[in-house]
Amino acid sequence: MKNPYEVLGVAPAASADEIQSAYRKLAKKLHPDLNPGDAGAEDRFKEVAGAYDLLSDAAKRKRFDAGEIDASGAERQHQHFYRDYAARNHENPYTSRSGFSDFMDGDDAFAELFRRSQRSRASRPGADRHFRLPISFADSIAGASTRLTLPEGGQLDVKIPPGLTDGQTIRLKGKGEPGTGTGGPGDALIEIEVMPDPRFTREGDDILIDLPVSLGDAVLGGKIRVPTATGAVTMSVPKGSNSGTMLRLKGKGAPKRGGGSGDQLVKLVVVLPRTPDPELEAFVAGWAPAHSYVPREEA
Amino acid sequence: MKLTRQQFLTRSGIQGQTLELWLEQSWLLPEDTPAGPMFSDIDTARAAFIRDLQRDFGANDDSVGVILHLVDQLHGMRLALSLLRQHMQDDGPAPSASTERDH
Repeated sequence: MKNPYEVLGVAPAASADEIQSAYRKLAKKLHPDLNPGDAGAEDRFKEVAGAYDLLSDAAKRKRFDAGEIDASGAERQHQHFYRDYAARNHENPYTSRSGFSDFMDGDDAFAELFRRSQRSRASRPGADRHFRLPISFADSIAGASTRLTLPEGGQLDVKIPPGLTDGQTIRLKGKGEPGTGTGGPGDALIEIEVMPDPRFTREGDDILIDLPVSLGDAVLGGKIRVPTATGAVTMSVPKGSNSGTMLRLKGKGAPKRGGGSGDQLVKLVVVLPRTPDPELEAFVAGWAPAHSYVPREEA
Repeated sequence: MKLTRQQFLTRSGIQGQTLELWLEQSWLLPEDTPAGPMFSDIDTARAAFIRDLQRDFGANDDSVGVILHLVDQLHGMRLALSLLRQHMQDDGPAPSASTERDH
């Protein structure tokens, strides 16, 4: 072992106070329990503590100075340090979360990761539970709040975000099976089944609809009511619209991820009166010969 | 290994009166059993740390309380960090936010 005076960085003539103060200065930096992450601190601390043990004991110091003993074996045989226990286990009753519990309160991915990491390995988070929930087409577009009746009784409030498609899953945090120990409960995973609506077809974020219009509206134009997933709206049909004409209702489709909405695409289907109309027949009979046209390719 | 109060006093070399004081301050939290308090290795190591603080560093009772409080937070933080690291190795990237849409 090195000369204890050198280890502490004091002169051989140093007073007891100087030795103590030199030791405290070094030990503060090196004590393993004050430096739990510094692996090298322990060896240096033992050396410093050993030097201090020797020099702070007046009788031992006298014998050392007289050359009766040397510094060998003076290294302090320290019991295990507190950090060796504090670091390694989940049963440490002293560990405090107060230094970081605010990190775990958030709703972001980091906080979630932090919470999960806090579940010790002895504890297991609960299993996820899977459910299937049929919803109407309108609810799938507009969103809704509904309740799921659980098999064992009780109900689960489910908030359906707008714009879901068939087969998508909603995750309800902590509504699954309970966990063990400090492991939190699992999640409820709810697969959404969108019931088809005969009027609407969804294509991406757009909604397609076939809309029957009267001959009069098709020829002369007019304002008509159109059903959408979120209620009927009024739409202008331009003069001379044909079957197959596509009209676009901006923003009446499904909400897009990240904002905005798709459109509703209205395909007009011109429909003649349900019962033959003698007046119309007479008019077309007079009109057609002079205005003949061929709306198809000739074979 | 669990130690009784008497064994703990012998092992750690502190006085019974001192131990009472430390227990009162909650510096030590031995396990409560029907047979009385039982001390673990971690309690022995913590007692040695407290003794170092008082004897070698000249920390008074108030300072010891503050130091222990900060050290306990530090260990909580270190434990959280190590679990976090382990979790990231086990499970890959961070989980998605609370309402997720699986496409």
